[in-house]
Amino acid sequence: MQRSLITLIALLALVGSAIAQKTLTVWSGYPELEPFYAHVAAQFEADNPGVKVEILTQPLRDYERRLMVTLPADSAGDILEISSAFAARLVQNDLIPPLSANLEALVTGGAYADFYIENASFDGTVYGVPLFRGQGALFYNTAMFEAAGLAGPPTTMDEYVEYANILTQRDASGEPTVSGWSLRLGGGGSGIAEKFWTIMHQYGGSIVTQQADGTWAADYANDAGYETLKLYVDLVNKDRVVTPELTGDAQGFQLGTTAMFIRESWVIGDIAAKAPDLPYATAVLPRGTISLPVNLYVTSSDPLASTFVEYVMRSENLRWLLANVGWLPNRQDVDYADIIAATPGLDGFINIPADQVLFTVPPIEPIDEIQTRMAEHLVRAFTDRNLVDNEAGIRAVLQTAANETNDILRRAGLR
Amino acid sequence: MVKFRLPGRTVRGRWAFAYLTLAPVVAIYLYLRIIPISQTFIMSFYEWNLIARRRPFIGLENYAGLMRDQAFITALANTTVIAFGILALSVPSALFVATLLAKPRWLSAVYETAFFLPVVTSMVPATLAWKWILDAKLGPLNQFVGWFGIPPQAWLIKPELAIFSVILLSAWKLLGYNMIIFLVGMRNIPATYYEAAEIDGASPGQRFWFITLPLIRPILLFVSVITVIQSYNVYTQVYVLASDAQGAPGYVVRVLVYDMIENGFRFFRMGYASAEAMILLGIVLVLTAVQFGALRDRR
Repeated sequence: MQRSLITLIALLALVGSAIAQKTLTVWSGYPELEPFYAHVAAQFEADNPGVKVEILTQPLRDYERRLMVTLPADSAGDILEISSAFAARLVQNDLIPPLSANLEALVTGGAYADFYIENASFDGTVYGVPLFRGQGALFYNTAMFEAAGLAGPPTTMDEYVEYANILTQRDASGEPTVSGWSLRLGGGGSGIAEKFWTIMHQYGGSIVTQQADGTWAADYANDAGYETLKLYVDLVNKDRVVTPELTGDAQGFQLGTTAMFIRESWVIGDIAAKAPDLPYATAVLPRGTISLPVNLYVTSSDPLASTFVEYVMRSENLRWLLANVGWLPNRQDVDYADIIAATPGLDGFINIPADQVLFTVPPIEPIDEIQTRMAEHLVRAFTDRNLVDNEAGIRAVLQTAANETNDILRRAGLR
Repeated sequence: MVKFRLPGRTVRGRWAFAYLTLAPVVAIYLYLRIIPISQTFIMSFYEWNLIARRRPFIGLENYAGLMRDQAFITALANTTVIAFGILALSVPSALFVATLLAKPRWLSAVYETAFFLPVVTSMVPATLAWKWILDAKLGPLNQFVGWFGIPPQAWLIKPELAIFSVILLSAWKLLGYNMIIFLVGMRNIPATYYEAAEIDGASPGQRFWFITLPLIRPILLFVSVITVIQSYNVYTQVYVLASDAQGAPGYVVRVLVYDMIENGFRFFRMGYASAEAMILLGIVLVLTAVQFGALRDRR
């Protein structure tokens, strides 16, 4: 009898504690950020007994799909990490509420540059807290550069092509075994277009630009687009500096099958984890690079959710993010100097000359569709040998893709 | 012996009992098939964005848009080539293997198991194995073709080779299933037919052509229909074969289901994706009807 009573009390206590425990859910589309959120969650849980923080991360595209299904059903996480470009359509459809007063004060109180506040706002209302940015820079293998007699990173697009040819290593048949410059030739659609956009930006081009009347138009069926696509076509088909078969990107760089490539700062953390002895450095691109802000959005009305975001934005946590993951925090009133000094790889991301021009993916609803559809044309063109020394052919590919882009914009009421 | 005669009411009772027992199955079928298909059909006439609050009726605009959509046309062409390629490869080869194994011999069961093994293997691991086989740098297929003086091929990168690779993999995966169905049919053909034909001096080829083939015609119809339906729904193998470290673009071999998923769950154009689904359903229904017409017993 006594034993039964004790068991019953223990069960009630267990049920009671389960009921008393509150759970906050944090969702992210960047699996490499899970340790960061876990780091913050540990502090938060220690300060808020009875609150448990659950972190869910998954690959970006799957995550975006999950958001689109769960947000209308009001079953998404309490705190969502979303890029400003993707969040725009969610905000415009009232699926994300504005920030609480204290978080809005944090964002507009001088801690962030106007660029990031604008990208976290819609119609003058702040919806997101800027967390980090995806910013591109050149990663180059210093040992390979030294072996090839190259003193430093390329600084013009002509030098990029020249160095790529010098750095390429080939087998007896002339096929590349080490790519002099790994270009994104496949993978997720928007990623292909985004990388193409970054290189086209060096020639002054853009995938879409806003017109004086507020509408949008494709802006790559022009000289900048031509120069960029020609560069890809030549490096793949004529110079054979890079091929779709060769392992490239971050993986290839870490394996030593790529001498240089353009990527975001997360690669620094990835290299530290997977190839800590890799001799490399980073450098700014000739004209400027992409800067894609990612923000935290709060869907829960529970004040604890906003409090958790404040924890995330604490200076010590943002420093942890930079030092351990590599993504660049957007909060500008935090001193990152010692971390930058200890991580030479951050040079190309932080020490940006004043004349550099940054660009971002515009927060228009069909931008992902535009980039994905454009990427299809690009992927086919990259390996099309008929486009070698064929200016008319290259321009025709760009024109066809641009027409499609304009059709998508028109359908979305943006043109 | 007393003979009971069932009154008319009892006959009606039997019918009622039949309907009653069928009702749960019909209800489940309605709920899981007919209602979703009907809703998809209705959605195909709307501009149905997954998150938009306004979902206007646009009539046939989604269907008209598909006719102008190059990605859809490419997907439709690729899927058709793949579906008929799989049909052309898997059905005759399954028929051939079944013919060889029709008469139970020593080790027949071992061979049947070996051919059936791919059917019970999950599509993803099976495709991953093929991805390695087809790898341009390390794949054994390139080593194999190298013995015949053929240079290494980019099986998963060149679109036409990638389509061939998908057909090869899918036919390999289906062969065992089709073979088992053919075997069941062939083993049910009375031996007396063959004995009579043998006495009449018919060759093995003649016996196959004039006895086996006509008698398994309904099975051939079933296998062909199932193969075409399955092949038009090709997706997993394309997704896995085309994926790399950067994701699964599906550009190399764009197929209908991939296009539908992309429009519905990436661009969130559910109405447009629904129109694609209805076109796919229409194609499969028409092809099934054509196959029924062509292979129907004309006695």
